[in-house]
Amino acid sequence: MATSAHNCDANLLHQLLQDSLSEQQEQWLSEHLEDCQQCRSLLEQQAGGVSEWSHVRDVLRSEIRLQVDRPAALRSTLLPVDRSSLGEFPPVSAELNIDDFAVDFLQPSDRTDVLGTLNDIEIHSVIGQGGNGIVLKGLQPELNRLVAVKVMAPQLAASAAARMRFSREAQATAAIVHPAVMPILTVHSDGQLPYLVMPYVDCETLQQRLDREGALSAVDVLRIGQQVAEGLAAAHAQGLVHRDVKPANILLEKGVDRVMLTDFGLARAVDDGTLTRTGIIAGTPQFMSPEQARGDAVDTASDLFSLGSVLYAMCTGRPPFRAETTYGILRRVTDDSPTAIPLLNPAVPVWLSGYIGQLMHKHSEQRLASADMVAETLRGGLAHLQQPLTRPLPAALQSHHVRPWGRLLLVAVCATVAIAAIVFRPKGPRSPENTGQSGTQASVAAESRVSDSPTDSTAATNPSAAATLPEAATQAWTTSLDEDLNQLSAEADTLLSAPLFAE
Amino acid sequence: MPHPKTRHSLIVRLQDERNDQAWDDFVVAYEPFLYRMATRQGVPERDVPDVVQQVLMAVARSVEGWSDDGRDASFRRWLSTVARNVVIRFMTRERRQPSGGGGTSVIDLMKNVADEPAASERHRYDHELIVWAAEQVRSEFLETSWTAFWATTVDERRVADVAAELQITAGSIYMSRSRIMARIRGLIQDIME
Repeated sequence: MATSAHNCDANLLHQLLQDSLSEQQEQWLSEHLEDCQQCRSLLEQQAGGVSEWSHVRDVLRSEIRLQVDRPAALRSTLLPVDRSSLGEFPPVSAELNIDDFAVDFLQPSDRTDVLGTLNDIEIHSVIGQGGNGIVLKGLQPELNRLVAVKVMAPQLAASAAARMRFSREAQATAAIVHPAVMPILTVHSDGQLPYLVMPYVDCETLQQRLDREGALSAVDVLRIGQQVAEGLAAAHAQGLVHRDVKPANILLEKGVDRVMLTDFGLARAVDDGTLTRTGIIAGTPQFMSPEQARGDAVDTASDLFSLGSVLYAMCTGRPPFRAETTYGILRRVTDDSPTAIPLLNPAVPVWLSGYIGQLMHKHSEQRLASADMVAETLRGGLAHLQQPLTRPLPAALQSHHVRPWGRLLLVAVCATVAIAAIVFRPKGPRSPENTGQSGTQASVAAESRVSDSPTDSTAATNPSAAATLPEAATQAWTTSLDEDLNQLSAEADTLLSAPLFAE
Repeated sequence: MPHPKTRHSLIVRLQDERNDQAWDDFVVAYEPFLYRMATRQGVPERDVPDVVQQVLMAVARSVEGWSDDGRDASFRRWLSTVARNVVIRFMTRERRQPSGGGGTSVIDLMKNVADEPAASERHRYDHELIVWAAEQVRSEFLETSWTAFWATTVDERRVADVAAELQITAGSIYMSRSRIMARIRGLIQDIME
């Protein structure tokens, strides 16, 4: 049993329950749990004590027994659905079939290397597609100009409201002239399918970059963040709220440092289309603000929250709020605090993670003032990183408050360590208070089991102490973190790397 | 659901600002449970908001009986206990005269609210709470995760068998069922703390 016990990391288990593991860590832990009885028991005890597992089990069981007598409307919705109907929910829209699309929407062309033409544009290839529409690469022969054409998805184009919003917003976006905003060259809103023409830029999205490289350096975070903030400031100055600021809508031009914000008009059109009225949420909610997740009215402060979430993702390599379903993400956005950035990436300067915390304040009125100011502050932070001796840290990045949070976090980390020490205590000498019983339990746990239900977990520990941990750690990151944190996190690392699991 | 202002006006003579905040937090956490509880007791849909309002009102009025024992968060704990007792009273009445809807008065609900209810009634309350929390949590997880949780935890089937049947790894079952359990407890703690 527990052949790989020397690899155990109690902290990972705790983080798992807070959904703060990277995908690689989850993968590793998943494999490790299959081999390690000790970690399985510990995980289950952190999730709930033995008595709580069995209490929940008994209640759910009796609920199913009882509800046979109940009218259907009063029954709980707990029983898993029949396995034959398992699987993902049907997608909101079927993926576009590109051949059908070419036939339905493009005019045929004589040239074989061209999919078809769209007015004055020769369409060469498909760049990407999603629920909102499809992006094509094309050439305008008369201007000898490469363009990207974004075509609205057919199911959206069927909605008159969506079309109207699309054209209005697209025209408004065309009025934003800023290096950090992807320009719109032409808008065609009256055809079969509305489309936008933009310059073709050899680029990748920030999402693609994060998927490939994970967390970015602080210099890159500030450089990209500053330009996105500038683009937002330009939009806000035109009275536009982007409402869909996320890494997939941030383009990084290849070879140069230029960053462009894109996808203004479609986001608005989708939001106002028929889709949201039926309760389907447009796009990924991972970067939404709490007010947006609740369906409340949003203003420019909502974009600042999303910008904060994007900065968070760049610092840590993962979005701040994750869950298995859209509903789960929405709940976390409105209710939970994300895992403190220093815990995920200690290399991030504390002033930066503190600032991101201010952007991501749950209450919009308590967020930072404007995208303009954010851009300026991030620019100052970047200058400071590059020339620390001549460029002092901007005042807005020197946090003066909220010291207690740092201490609370240390308490949480230390408690984790203490519990890990208790649980992973070598089994050899029996402690006097457990005489007899724990020895029996240990040997029972070592045997192969008929049922491996969590209620049978037997390793001795203190589940109620473990139970209070997630709250403490979550509270630790509400508004901002101070300089203490870097040191705390270093101390925690030292503590955690101590040989707890020597056996 | 009532507007936050309405919630606030329910409070009778709360002098301590921290308690105001505690009340608001409590209502935000508790109200969804009350809605579901009332529905499950058979209250007709149109009467449910009324019933929820009455229960909250009864809890709020009982606030006068509270005295600070100096312990941390004691107001909140006390609120949870009073709310439990009010709900138990409501469920008991509802069982005797089903779907009373508007027939239950706030004053009735407040009667003997400080008495410790019988074990069987507490048990029923816990049952409702856990079922509600599990229903909430279910929507946050993929159907496969929920099925695996149910099969291995409630039905106590072997993890290996369930993993094979659902074509997922045993490791992912260990992870997701503990996450589900932790979330159920978290929701209940939000109410009971």
